[in-house]
Amino acid sequence: MNASAWQMLLEGAWTTVWISAVSIAIGVLAGLVIALIRLARIPIVDQLLVLYISVARATPLVTLALFIFLSAPDLGLDFNRSVAGILALTLNTTAFNAEIWRSAFRNFSREQREAAMATGMTPWITFRRIMLPQMVITSLPGLINEMSFLIKGSPAIAVIGIVDLTRVTNRISAVTYEPLPPILVAGALYMMVIGCLIWLQRIFERRANRLAM
Amino acid sequence: MSEANTSETAAVSIRHLSKSFDDVEVLRDVELEVKTGEVVTIIGSSGSGKSTLLRCINWLEKPDRGSIHIAGQRIGVHDDGRAMPVRELAKVRAKTGMVFQGFNLWPHLNVLHNVTEAPIHVQGKSKREAEALAKALLDKVGMSHKHDSYPNTLSGGQKQRVAIARALAMQPTVMLFDEPTSALDPELVGEVLAVIKDLSAEGYTMVMVTHEMAFARAVSDQVVFLEKGLIIERADPETFFTTPKTDRVRKFLENHDTPSPA
Repeated sequence: MNASAWQMLLEGAWTTVWISAVSIAIGVLAGLVIALIRLARIPIVDQLLVLYISVARATPLVTLALFIFLSAPDLGLDFNRSVAGILALTLNTTAFNAEIWRSAFRNFSREQREAAMATGMTPWITFRRIMLPQMVITSLPGLINEMSFLIKGSPAIAVIGIVDLTRVTNRISAVTYEPLPPILVAGALYMMVIGCLIWLQRIFERRANRLAM
Repeated sequence: MSEANTSETAAVSIRHLSKSFDDVEVLRDVELEVKTGEVVTIIGSSGSGKSTLLRCINWLEKPDRGSIHIAGQRIGVHDDGRAMPVRELAKVRAKTGMVFQGFNLWPHLNVLHNVTEAPIHVQGKSKREAEALAKALLDKVGMSHKHDSYPNTLSGGQKQRVAIARALAMQPTVMLFDEPTSALDPELVGEVLAVIKDLSAEGYTMVMVTHEMAFARAVSDQVVFLEKGLIIERADPETFFTTPKTDRVRKFLENHDTPSPA
């Protein structure tokens, strides 16, 4: 592989990383918001969210990406590829994250909540100061799992023309006729990114031990 | 107007309190008045409604009928029957401090921060002010050597003493103790009771549900016996433990090793 091949690989890696990072950031927060709304059990809204979660969880990423990209013009929306890609990844990961957050809510200790209310905390302060810090730590293994699924599933967005870390290996081997080296490098780069996530997870797990009473 | 007058003098005033879970009446027309500085102990067999009564006082349980005033202020609902908005309810709740059977410390915060959390985020105290208060309270309960420890490293007795400091930190009008020693190993019960006894000597107003009869006799000003949601006997501890009026209480005390005078 020559210098330009390396450069293409790194650019592809960057595309994968930033599109995934944006999708993860939005997806984790949106999942939390959906979980919160679902706690309120608002009729119709709740059913719509359940429908969204079921559909998003059952739809392959490739299908979702194609659908968003191809239907956008008909809906009068003008997406570039990156936005469509981010939207597809986000819609997918949000559904899974919402379920992770929801189970963290459901399993949160009633006793600790009562102790918070008994000191005069409002539900909002209780959520922010007592529940959320613990829910983040207990949900993190699941959330990071979902993040690494998202990154590993991200080559699906190549279907709408985004040149990500996997797609770029095709382009390189089309010129060099040596498909193996770029694929091996791409694999190593994916492992490095996922490795960072696992490292983060370890740090939080150490803090999680404290929560086991 | 007469109600306002009696409520003003009382730390807690409970009137015509009733509550049912499904079809079971757990509280039936309960009346209880706790004066400032008074220690009231609620006794009864399990399922008699004593924990429910205590949990109604700070509205962790919602009664079906009746009213509760804390230092003259009604909790939970307004006189016209409107439910209290959460912020207002939280404000009245802050006038009560509760100590739970299972301690219920917040495991993500160290001992000091368990105590400062509510003063800082509910009362808006400065960090410095809250920490000074917390340190004084932790000293009072004998936990000043454990500021930086996390709850999972403490014994049950230590956890409960921190929980007492946490409740005291809001400087409540009344302290509510819900079987504070029932989850403790027998050898740890004494250290927690000693702290509560100190508080009663300092004049704290307290309502306590307990199975520790000798302790109840030693610290109470008023003992209340609850049976199937009904207060069937109330008296000063001497009268209650030596000459109970009802057979039911006599039997209960026989089964609980009636304590010798403390």
